[in-house]
Amino acid sequence: MDRVRARDADAFEALYDQYHRLVYGVAFRVLSDAAAAEDVTQAVFLRIWSAPELFRDGNFGAWVARIARNRAYDIVRSRNLHPQSELPETLPVEDAVDETVIANMSGERVRLALEQLPPEQREPIELGFFGGVTHDQIARTTGLPLGTIKTRIRTGLRRLRAALQETVTV
Amino acid sequence: MTPHDELLDSVAAYALGVLPPSEAAGVEAHLQTCAQCQAEYRELRPAVTAVAYSAEACADPTAGAVAASPLLKARIMRRVRAEAASRPSSRRYSPAYALAAACLAIAIITGLMDLSLSRRLNRELAQSAAQTQTIADLTAADSRRYHFSDGMVVMRADRVYLMMHDMHAPPPGHVYQAWTLAHGAKRMAPSMTFAPGNGGVAFVRLPESATNIAAIAVSVEPDGGSLQPTTKPIAVVRI
Repeated sequence: MDRVRARDADAFEALYDQYHRLVYGVAFRVLSDAAAAEDVTQAVFLRIWSAPELFRDGNFGAWVARIARNRAYDIVRSRNLHPQSELPETLPVEDAVDETVIANMSGERVRLALEQLPPEQREPIELGFFGGVTHDQIARTTGLPLGTIKTRIRTGLRRLRAALQETVTV
Repeated sequence: MTPHDELLDSVAAYALGVLPPSEAAGVEAHLQTCAQCQAEYRELRPAVTAVAYSAEACADPTAGAVAASPLLKARIMRRVRAEAASRPSSRRYSPAYALAAACLAIAIITGLMDLSLSRRLNRELAQSAAQTQTIADLTAADSRRYHFSDGMVVMRADRVYLMMHDMHAPPPGHVYQAWTLAHGAKRMAPSMTFAPGNGGVAFVRLPESATNIAAIAVSVEPDGGSLQPTTKPIAVVRI
């Protein structure tokens, strides 16, 4: 990113090559629309080029995935579907090492770990992250109490983290 | 389950980004003071990142998934390389000269700066790769200037600069974002985000070409910016 900040187009191209599948993949999962996902991908990368100072510190992949998700939500909002939630884009960096480990795994490997979760934990997590809905909307959709949804999200995230750690240490 | 267990569950929902803004603000405030919840947040964040990375498989053409078009990369890189080529490297110039000259030029034009602001502008401009061009543009007789209540837009050739004064710091988690309206367009297009310096002054060069701008607006947007304005513009300048 230092070279991108110094307006190095080659460094920017390398950054695009490394992260465009992540950005496009997140946008596509949220929007289910290839053209709109490309719009988000273009907007995210041109924003990185025009304002590289927006990325302050920490793991770039984790940050850009959040930017992509929030920008995809902008599109959903513009379609009047009104998602209410946003991911925090400014992040603590203490856990950057863990996130780097994840960034070095293939998306397929991470997807398989996610699929190993029990459906009652995986579904609210995927619905929440990619579906543009808040926890209370998930509760209404599923007919479950709000507290149950939050507990399942927490349990599922902890289990996913543990599964990925096992993947790394095996 | 204790009330604090419920808070830990809320921290998980916050990390996943599924809390409505009002509840998210409450969790953010609690995280400032609770070490246990901070630890939980740090524990769960990599898992949320993993959820995001699971989508990467959607865009892996080797897995037969739908993927971004190679034309997308070509489109983006064409713009990036054109802009990189139009911005000469700052290393060609003496940093000390560029710093002093940049501040002098802007001070003459805007009459807005105090010493602390000029230091901030010095720092920001020193990081820019377009210092000398900026000075020439701001001082040139043929530059076009458009005043509005809290600032000025300066255009020269295809370059466009936005200066604003008496700005408040944006709310936490928010930034100012510029918008441009192309001739014939019906909707504003997102431009760059920025924040004012300590003196409440902002000075930015917009990445868009000045040749096709019919209006410029500024609004307050969530950190990272928006694709469409989500708040009423605080300034609109018709060119």
